[in-house]
Amino acid sequence: MTHDMKNCLAIINENAGLLADLAVKAQDKAIPFDPLKAASISEKIGKLVSRADDMMKRFNRFAHSMDHDKETVDLEEAVNLIARLAERILLQGRIRLTVIPASAPCRIHASRFAVLHLIFRAVDSLCRNQTDGTLDSEKPVTVQFSSDPELPEICFIQDFRPEIKLESLFASPEDQALLARVNMNIRTMDSGAGFCLNTLPPARE
Amino acid sequence: MMPEQKTGNKIFVNKEKIMSEKVLLVDDEKDFLDIMSERMEARGMTVKTADSADQALKILEKESFDAIVMDFKMPGMDGIQALKNIKTQKPELQIILLTGYATVEKTVEAMKIGATDLLEKPADLEALAAKIKQAKAEKMLVVEKKTEDKIKDILKRFSG
Repeated sequence: MTHDMKNCLAIINENAGLLADLAVKAQDKAIPFDPLKAASISEKIGKLVSRADDMMKRFNRFAHSMDHDKETVDLEEAVNLIARLAERILLQGRIRLTVIPASAPCRIHASRFAVLHLIFRAVDSLCRNQTDGTLDSEKPVTVQFSSDPELPEICFIQDFRPEIKLESLFASPEDQALLARVNMNIRTMDSGAGFCLNTLPPARE
Repeated sequence: MMPEQKTGNKIFVNKEKIMSEKVLLVDDEKDFLDIMSERMEARGMTVKTADSADQALKILEKESFDAIVMDFKMPGMDGIQALKNIKTQKPELQIILLTGYATVEKTVEAMKIGATDLLEKPADLEALAAKIKQAKAEKMLVVEKKTEDKIKDILKRFSG
């Protein structure tokens, strides 16, 4: 994200520099300032500002995820936010994430920050745990949500082979603690087709 | 007169004639490639662009450059891997890396592999132009040394 923000600033910086170059040319070499060129630069700067503003909004939503200890979190909304925040990581891992809209609201009561962190870990694992190591082709991954409102679930289904190393997913003590914090566990699918993050049923008293 | 205009004046009057560095610019941002190449060419440089490290490697098989200015973080092959591959293919090439955030660790790693320099984005074009000029001089030294070694080797074989 910060790299993308820096890219935006770099292009804005070069556009400003180009305007200065054109101004110098116009004055020193008596080359008339092309209004169409100036309009094109202005339009580019406008688009870049809008792109940077979108990034800042996402940053802001992420930053405010720490405001409450627990709250109602829409999992589809959370996945979409992480998909945008992790755009560059997904691009680098050649993963094309398609989020299928939930048929019914898929919500849990948990720490929004922990949920976002958990989804990011899932996305990061998809990008890192490729057994074939090839980065030549794009790998499609579909994200689906459970239709059972009592037991919300997010599933990451990969449409490519060979499968990722599922045994190493969420195996670290940090990941286990994260799963416990949001009262979820991981369920792997048969033949390495993917994995789901599912909510644990409430403990019976 | 504005100070920028004075600086600009120097660029267009003097450098245009004396600078003729051939540069390969590598970045996955097309807008960045377009505008940077336009501004660098206005300063007398010959610029070719590539939107990925893979494309850059293909171009390097056919052409030679005084310097490569490359983004450190791109989809596909990352900056470190690209740097390794380019240095294996053409060790004399001078590579200036552009990065969004330069950590000490990554900078040291890049320098160890053979990066000539590292600049943080957004970079000052005048600073970049100076580094390209310096890179060209360093490349010439490497090439001269290589030629000298070859000549010495030939002389040694003939005299022996």
